[in-house]
Amino acid sequence: MRRRSRVVLLLAGLVALAMTAGCSVGGPAQQKLTVTGSTTILPIAEASADMYQAAHPGTRILVAGVGSSQGIESVSQGTSDIGTSSRELAPEEKKLGLVDTKIALDAIAVIVNPSNPVRALTMQQAAAIFERRITNWSQVGGHDMPIGLVNRDEASGTRDAFSKIVLKGRDFDRTAAVLPGTGQVRAVVTESPGAVGFISLGFVDRGVKAVAIDRIRPTEATVADGTYPISRVLHFFTKGQPKGLAKAYIDFVLSTPVQDAVVRDAGFLPIDKALK
Amino acid sequence: MSAGSPREGQAQAPAPQDRGPAGNGGLSRISRATHLKEALLRNAFLVCACVAVAGVTLIFVFVGYQGWPIFAKLGIGEFLGGRVWYPTKGLFGILTLVVNSLLAMAGGLVLGAPLAVGTAVFLSEVASPRVREVTRPAVELLAGIPSVVYGFFGLVLLRPIIARVFGGLGFGLFTVWVILGVMIVPTIATLTEDALRSVPEGIREASYAMGATKWQTIWRVLLPAARIGIIDAVILGMGRAIGETMAVVMIAGNAPVIPDSIFKPFLTLTTVIVMDMPYASGDHRTALFGVAIVLFVISMIFVASIRVISRSRGEGD
Repeated sequence: MRRRSRVVLLLAGLVALAMTAGCSVGGPAQQKLTVTGSTTILPIAEASADMYQAAHPGTRILVAGVGSSQGIESVSQGTSDIGTSSRELAPEEKKLGLVDTKIALDAIAVIVNPSNPVRALTMQQAAAIFERRITNWSQVGGHDMPIGLVNRDEASGTRDAFSKIVLKGRDFDRTAAVLPGTGQVRAVVTESPGAVGFISLGFVDRGVKAVAIDRIRPTEATVADGTYPISRVLHFFTKGQPKGLAKAYIDFVLSTPVQDAVVRDAGFLPIDKALK
Repeated sequence: MSAGSPREGQAQAPAPQDRGPAGNGGLSRISRATHLKEALLRNAFLVCACVAVAGVTLIFVFVGYQGWPIFAKLGIGEFLGGRVWYPTKGLFGILTLVVNSLLAMAGGLVLGAPLAVGTAVFLSEVASPRVREVTRPAVELLAGIPSVVYGFFGLVLLRPIIARVFGGLGFGLFTVWVILGVMIVPTIATLTEDALRSVPEGIREASYAMGATKWQTIWRVLLPAARIGIIDAVILGMGRAIGETMAVVMIAGNAPVIPDSIFKPFLTLTTVIVMDMPYASGDHRTALFGVAIVLFVISMIFVASIRVISRSRGEGD
């Protein structure tokens, strides 16, 4: 057993040696691409980078999640080739000569227990619930039942987006339960009749009910045409028009296999529907 | 264990007598090799002890070095006495977390300590040997369950039940108390059982001889006689309860406020470190190390109080 593993190791070493030798002598110089920015986009960027590298040996795509602002800054300074961002450019950032490629849509659903009769909320009601200005479901047309708030931890990109879009930067109620993952939020809302939380639309399942916001139900169609209000676009920014490896990688991310598998697995919605 | 130790005692008992005269007369007869082996062994044990001491020192120095700036920046009063923990707004008062940790510990103790002492009394005084054979390993196994499993059990099984019976989401002090109460049972029970067993048999016999019932003997004679050992056990249980992290983070709900009901979410000293460490930077990170210092000091207080109590027993006797 041990001897065999040593032989395998030796073979692997030889193969690796042959490959590096082949690269440095025969093949073209290794191509490198640096992608930094949003932690929300990290799962998409990483998975598609792995797939791209597997299909194109000799390329190396470095992906780092440092936050949208850092991503925009580093691509404009030239320290990375692609800056990923889950927010639009700020006015002063629009002067930096960055080209925007939209790669996916992220919508956040407000979820309640399926037994809860409340089917729709206005944006104001949703904000009031998460600020605990509304504390009972009867205040929004439901049963007389206290509202159980479920929040995400501060590291969450979903919480950040929800806070910006719904609460307009005001504070969440501090007495809300803080849970460290989408799965936990969904599980708690599935079990508790009075609970309310928020998760990416892609992770909504039969155990929870996504309520309509301002009379718009969160579906792929309403997100794609921009009518569902709690949504955002995920961006790849490049300095000037993308070219070379950057263009190849972006085209790969926009291709149907990646959009339908990687993007959906990460809980987001494909961009292609919105473009048409 | 209990069956093995007397036999070992018998085997070793004659040994000193054998060695005694030889040792006195034949000190020079010990070969150099034996002498070397003895010295080596002694040093090996010294190294073992040093590693433990070095580990504690290193952790304390590192945590202190990382966390001290927050005390220097805010002052001890504002850090320990500040009521608002709101890192993204630059507010690092941990009084809320200290109070929550103490509340969680106290409730766990109120539920767990009587359960543990009762278990120990049962094992030491009531149970027949056959029942004990089954019960004691079960209690010891309780200590071997990883805390994350307790947390998972609490989250998936206990929390929904509490939510259904008492309303709300099921996160909160009550859920944590139940889980901590069970978790500290083995710590307190095994040490209490040791304390009860070390009460001389003669005292039990004297009590029965005076016509006391079993209950009277346990309540009036044995528990008072073993009380210092029991207090030590309970303090160790307190240390376990206040330091518990994984189980608590899953069922506490982690809201950074002092809850107005025992069924509302709350955040403690240990859980804030788990929740925030992955993304904390700058002062926030330093403040988390400051929290670690506070935890360190609390456990030092517990260890010191056990020392003081044990010493007072020595003087009392």
